[in-house]
Amino acid sequence: MLVEQIINGVVLGSMYALIAQGYTLIFGVLDKLNFAHGEIFMLGGFVCLASVALGASLPVAILITAIISGLLGLMVEFVGFRKFRSADAHITAALSSFAIGLVLIDLSQKVWGAEPVALTLPGSLQTATITIAGLKIVVLRLAILVISLLLMLVLYLVVLRTGLGRRIRAVAESPAKAALFGINVTRINQQVFVIASVMAGLAGLALAVRTGYSSTDVGFTFGLKALAIMAIGGMGDLRGALLGGLLVGVIEALAFQWGVGQFADVFVWLFMIAILLLRPAGLFGTLVSKEIRA
Amino acid sequence: MMQDYIVFVGVNMVLAWSVYVILLAGSLSFANGGFMAIGAYASGVLTVKFGMPLIPAALIAGLIAGAVGVLVGFPALRTRGIYLMLVTVGITVSVKAVIESIDYVGGIQGFGGMVGTRPWHVIALVILVGCGLWFLSKSPLQRILDAVREDELSAASLGINTVYVKLVCLGVGAFLAAVAGSFYAHHLIHVTPDQFGIVVSVFIVLYAVLGGTNNMWGPPIGGVIMTLIPEVVRGLESWRPTAFGVIILVLLLIRPDGLLAFRDVTTRAKKIW
Amino acid sequence: MNVVAQSVLVVEGLSKSFRGLNALDSVSLNVQSGEILGLMGPNGAGKSVFINVVTGLYPADAGTIHYGGRNVTGLASYELARLGIARTYQNIRLLRRMTVLENVLVATKEHIDRPLRSFCVWNQRSFVTAAKRLLEQFHLVDKSDWLAGSLAYGEARRLEIARALAGKPSLLFLDEPAAGMNERETEELSSTIRASHKFVEAIVIIEHDVAMMRNLPHRLIVLDSGRKIAEGRPNDVLAQSNVIEAYFGTDGTDD
Repeated sequence: MLVEQIINGVVLGSMYALIAQGYTLIFGVLDKLNFAHGEIFMLGGFVCLASVALGASLPVAILITAIISGLLGLMVEFVGFRKFRSADAHITAALSSFAIGLVLIDLSQKVWGAEPVALTLPGSLQTATITIAGLKIVVLRLAILVISLLLMLVLYLVVLRTGLGRRIRAVAESPAKAALFGINVTRINQQVFVIASVMAGLAGLALAVRTGYSSTDVGFTFGLKALAIMAIGGMGDLRGALLGGLLVGVIEALAFQWGVGQFADVFVWLFMIAILLLRPAGLFGTLVSKEIRA
Repeated sequence: MMQDYIVFVGVNMVLAWSVYVILLAGSLSFANGGFMAIGAYASGVLTVKFGMPLIPAALIAGLIAGAVGVLVGFPALRTRGIYLMLVTVGITVSVKAVIESIDYVGGIQGFGGMVGTRPWHVIALVILVGCGLWFLSKSPLQRILDAVREDELSAASLGINTVYVKLVCLGVGAFLAAVAGSFYAHHLIHVTPDQFGIVVSVFIVLYAVLGGTNNMWGPPIGGVIMTLIPEVVRGLESWRPTAFGVIILVLLLIRPDGLLAFRDVTTRAKKIW
Repeated sequence: MNVVAQSVLVVEGLSKSFRGLNALDSVSLNVQSGEILGLMGPNGAGKSVFINVVTGLYPADAGTIHYGGRNVTGLASYELARLGIARTYQNIRLLRRMTVLENVLVATKEHIDRPLRSFCVWNQRSFVTAAKRLLEQFHLVDKSDWLAGSLAYGEARRLEIARALAGKPSLLFLDEPAAGMNERETEELSSTIRASHKFVEAIVIIEHDVAMMRNLPHRLIVLDSGRKIAEGRPNDVLAQSNVIEAYFGTDGTDD
């Protein structure tokens, strides 16, 4: 039982990690928090739901979700972040993305209502299990875990090994310097938003498929937790978001296993506070005071 | 009805100021919803279960919140600004979860029986806090806070104990939020933990930031406007969140520094002399 | 006369490394009362690290710092500042959104020592007078009500030094004050620093400008790769071959 719960936690954690990586990617590059990110996650589930309801097969629904999430990301970047580029505009950008998130939630509720909406997939897909090493594992969850890890691996490789990744890292270090080198910072910002939003949307799809329904309040709850995960892992660090996400997923699973599920959230935030006390910049973060570096 | 307005507007003004006070030292706090909850529940327990009159109960609740703020804030202040913000979120989330699980104060159902707020309580509170902040703005302490807020490193090099200053601001901000929360609860008679979640904390920050945080008048005016906007969009009842979001966006795009962003600089310098 | 007794600052065996890189390697030096001490060295020599450690920004890995006979190793920036160690920064750190006068006023010792008490201060006339008097010495009093961010570069430097002196320190560290200045501006800066000397017991100045370091300080210390490689009178030190090699490099490039 315990092992199964831990595996559940890891699967949940991989979804958290997908969201947190997108969040932390945007933070690392733009140095700002995108509070609409959680809502793109939420909408991912609904887009999938709508696609399937309209007759699309699962693979097609995945593609549609990815595309629409990317477009949403572009919209958020344009409305909420394009005008607030200066270093002083942190709070303003965060609040504007919060406002966008508010609008997205309301519009979603107008279309789908405030109650959870069921996602109907071909019957066998959701309950098929296989047995590995004596443990019964739901195929779907395994698939989610594997695909999530693959996505994050691809992202990691892109950031570290490709030209795009190099440009992203340059902007992350200093947009002003990157611009001097001829990098189109706006274009990079857009691309970063697209990548992050696609990941979030697919994570939302994964959640909807795994639980069987979509709900308009998941963006808020998951998004909030993603913030804690970012802090745990170190703001702006992809490995940190992955590790943090997995840890948080496991912590939550264990909390439910041991009957204190209603405190799961508190444990996560307390864990974050504990980590920050030991390592003020998170597990992989650096409290680089750029001032002293002068 | 008028009573309702006075109490809500006044409470929101003080709440906005509670964020402002903490912001004076450079920290953005999303914990004030949590401090408000501590105020409401602590004062509620004191008045309902122990028969204490409202004002002393509110003050004690304020001190409790202040103590919590300082205790949690002290280790947290070592972290960089954004991590501190997230710790404050953690405070709100934790306070709400703890309150929900304590049956003594009603758990999720909430706590009731709190009566006693009169409009003059709130008005007096607003006037007191306003005078305090006005006096502060003319004093040398305001300059010290400005220095800490603008450049902590530089302030430390001048001899300012930045951690101490930030903690004091955090404690005072927590105190104010808690007292406001006490009056709020004793007007509503019955409150539930849901009314003090992270959303409330974010809205309080919104009041302050929309109003403009460069001076003491911005936040309360932001609070007044945000309290009255729901009335303005009353006709669009079902579209309220969207209207809200759009209004906020428009305001941010037009006046990103807040509605009343000016800094009373040279006037103040001249007035000293 | 016991040299140590006349020393404002005694640093012994100071070491600091970052991620395995030795930024400071057992550096020992003292700052004597009444002197202007110059600290030079090529980029990466450890000058900035030295000043940052001594003013409390980073803790040292090893070594001791004695200030006025008292062991101050490991104290925080603000504690050192209150004891009388002041500094300026390479990239001027003024409070740009406050006025010139306010920048100096904020450093008033009485307020800084008891910040909460300063809330109750109503009559600030005497403090303003003192601040303006200081600004007068630095030829800035006419711009008292200007925003610090609107000052010209040279004036901003002067203000930063004036502000550092407002707290009545005994030891002043100047971190590359002449950065980005031309010859004339450097001359003016040198005379400002000489004039400042009467406000403070000793001044330590980190700089690259060779001409300035030849004429301004009484003594000169050169660091290279975290180690002290020369110490003495400026003309003597600057003639040493190891200094020339370390500083100018074998291809004779000037800084």
